[in-house]
Amino acid sequence: MRDGRQIQTKRTEEGIALLISIFILLLISIVAIALIVASGTETSLAGNYRSATAVYYAALSGLEEARGRLLSKNPDAFKTTNPSNFLPPPGTALNMGDTYYLINPDGGAPITPWDSSSTYPDNQFGVEFVPSSFSAPTNPSPTALSVWNRNPLQALNLPGPLYKWVRINAVSEKSLGVDADADSLADSTTPLYYDGVHFSNSPSAGPQVLELTSFAILPNGSQKLVQYLVAPVPIGLPPFFAALSLLGSSLNTSVSYTSPLPNTNFKVMGIDQDCSGNPTGNPPRVAIGVIVSTDVGTVESGGNGGAGIVPFSVQATNYKGSGSNPDVENMLAFPLNYQSPSGLDAVAQAIIQNADGVIPSGSAGTQQTYLSALVSSSAMSPTSPMTLVANGDLNLTGWHHTGYGLLLVTGTLTYDPDASWNGIVLVIGQGVLLNSKSGAGEIVGAVMVAKTRDSSGSLITGSYLGASAVNYNSNSASSPSDLGGQGIYYSNCWIQRAQPTAGNKILSFHEISQ
Amino acid sequence: MSSGPSDRRQVGFTLIELMVALGIFLLITGAAFTLLGTSQKHYQTESQVLTSFQEARLGLDQIVRDVNDAGYPPPTFLNSSSPTLSVSSPFAWSPSYPTTSCQIATGGGGNCTTATAGDTAPGDFDLIIETNPNPQDPSCLPNCPVQWIRYQLQNTTPLPTLMRGVSNKFTGGDPDAYTAGALVPFVQNIVNTQVVQTVTNPLVAQYQAAYPVIFPGGAPVPIFSYTCDNSFPPPQTVACSGAGADNSPANIRDVIITLIVAAPLPDRTTGQARLVMLNGRGRRINPNK
Repeated sequence: MRDGRQIQTKRTEEGIALLISIFILLLISIVAIALIVASGTETSLAGNYRSATAVYYAALSGLEEARGRLLSKNPDAFKTTNPSNFLPPPGTALNMGDTYYLINPDGGAPITPWDSSSTYPDNQFGVEFVPSSFSAPTNPSPTALSVWNRNPLQALNLPGPLYKWVRINAVSEKSLGVDADADSLADSTTPLYYDGVHFSNSPSAGPQVLELTSFAILPNGSQKLVQYLVAPVPIGLPPFFAALSLLGSSLNTSVSYTSPLPNTNFKVMGIDQDCSGNPTGNPPRVAIGVIVSTDVGTVESGGNGGAGIVPFSVQATNYKGSGSNPDVENMLAFPLNYQSPSGLDAVAQAIIQNADGVIPSGSAGTQQTYLSALVSSSAMSPTSPMTLVANGDLNLTGWHHTGYGLLLVTGTLTYDPDASWNGIVLVIGQGVLLNSKSGAGEIVGAVMVAKTRDSSGSLITGSYLGASAVNYNSNSASSPSDLGGQGIYYSNCWIQRAQPTAGNKILSFHEISQ
Repeated sequence: MSSGPSDRRQVGFTLIELMVALGIFLLITGAAFTLLGTSQKHYQTESQVLTSFQEARLGLDQIVRDVNDAGYPPPTFLNSSSPTLSVSSPFAWSPSYPTTSCQIATGGGGNCTTATAGDTAPGDFDLIIETNPNPQDPSCLPNCPVQWIRYQLQNTTPLPTLMRGVSNKFTGGDPDAYTAGALVPFVQNIVNTQVVQTVTNPLVAQYQAAYPVIFPGGAPVPIFSYTCDNSFPPPQTVACSGAGADNSPANIRDVIITLIVAAPLPDRTTGQARLVMLNGRGRRINPNK
């Protein structure tokens, strides 16, 4: 009986509690859902803008990585990371229609943008190039992995930017939809070049214009395509009117020059050579150029501690150029802004800031070990000229290799003609070039010597350069018949190849609407 | 046996039990429905605010994209004088464009003007972008013209509207005059300023007084503010007003955008206006010459 009453009482209470609980739960749920719906919309709206901004910067980071790695002095330069299978060697133009991809799989699926059925296809290529009869990207295209997929960054397991690929290619008038030379023809097969001011169809106008197109996509599906046009900007160098430019001033004791006396094979020639050493037939330049009229006599006949061009017999044969023999001329057209210590030193500083490498100071052995490593690793080669700087003296005595590119020495350059140099040699700073050795080497390109700093290394104040000196017979006690080597030969081809660049300039930016 | 009938009587509820249960139930449901009613009012207001917010977000997105793209294609593209096919300046101005430049001054002032009284372009509430948004448009290849894209705040009833207008660039033309006829409503209910082109909007004046946090000191908030590239010394990006000789539309680097939008109707619970403030930044990457 007691048990039965207890059961019935329980049952009654259970019913009411359940009903009320269900109702309350229902009402609270409705209110909660309404609130969630309202705040959910707000969150997703704010999220939309956030992901649009995030994907924009992700795409931009791809462009910047590619732009940075096009520069040879970048430690992750394509030239260093993908020496053989990616872009053509420096100085060689990209062909129209060829595509190169920087890819960033970041642990995900393989990225093959040239395949239209792949996860992240490059559909933009067709938009730009089908009218030029290039229907699809190169299949398969050469690829390079992004820095996020290479060590040391990969080992850190950092979440890299979410761009997927960056296409690098040449552009034409037709692909850009412009008529650069206003000839009413949109050329589809000629790549565009940049002459420093405008685009041009002529390869000789300047460096090639490259197009970088970056594609980024976020996990939520937001995607963005952005595009750069870039071209390397050269550092402004003084003009090379002569094979050897010896700069001095009318105020200070000016230049001095000493030829290697017994060596009748030593020449300083203003006759232009191509990069293979053959005469180009272009109008000859000056053999030795100076910028003060009285220095012409000093170089020819000696003075200021120099012996001049000796023996007298070689004056008629070994110093040829645009003028009468020996061709030592006052370069009247040499720009005034490069005739002052500050003007020339600014050039040297710009080169130092943008150098591909700095030759360590120290013993000749230390310096030459550094240079030899560049040669043996092919980092420095005819197709890959380098801009090298010696902040101070450089002693090449005993170095038996050939260097390529631009060599800037701010102290004394001690040359050894067992070595050769193809390109530009600048001795700007102390302005002293010495040689006491014999050999069969030569300098092809141009040499410029100027004193912009005093012996303590401070910039000379005022507008007058100090006294620069070239002495190919700095140890007169030792005078073998091949002292000084073959000499200095003007080559516009090598001067152009050795031009240093300050970076890739952004010529234009464009966001592609999708 | 005797416990049988007494057991049966206890099956079901007594009237008192029912009344108490019903009373409690009504009390709870009453409270719940009041809560539901309030939240429904909130929901209606919020969805209005969200609509305005969404419209402004889309607008902001478009402005940022146009600014990012300003100056495409730069004059380097063409080795000839075809000013309609390349950009003379990423941001156009008036008058004497592009021969003589003008000074930008946020908060009024400066000598970039427009034909409309009390308006400057580029200015706090007016901006003309010069770009080619779709250079691959098959209908105009190979020589797609550059366009002037204009954003201008105009006074409308009940609240001001940000207008957008697009016109093809016309050599020798005044970008102000060419875009003025093409303006269409873009983002509505903008309350950044009560004085729009010398006309005072009374409703915005009320809002500005009610929200001192959004409008410090009751001052208007510029929709567009600018930073300029300063060439000397050393090269840096500063507010245009501090850029000295480099304060010109051609040197604009960033456009910082602030949109303050109001919901079309006041809050149903408080009767107050609901304002939303959105910020964005567009950065010109193209060279200016």
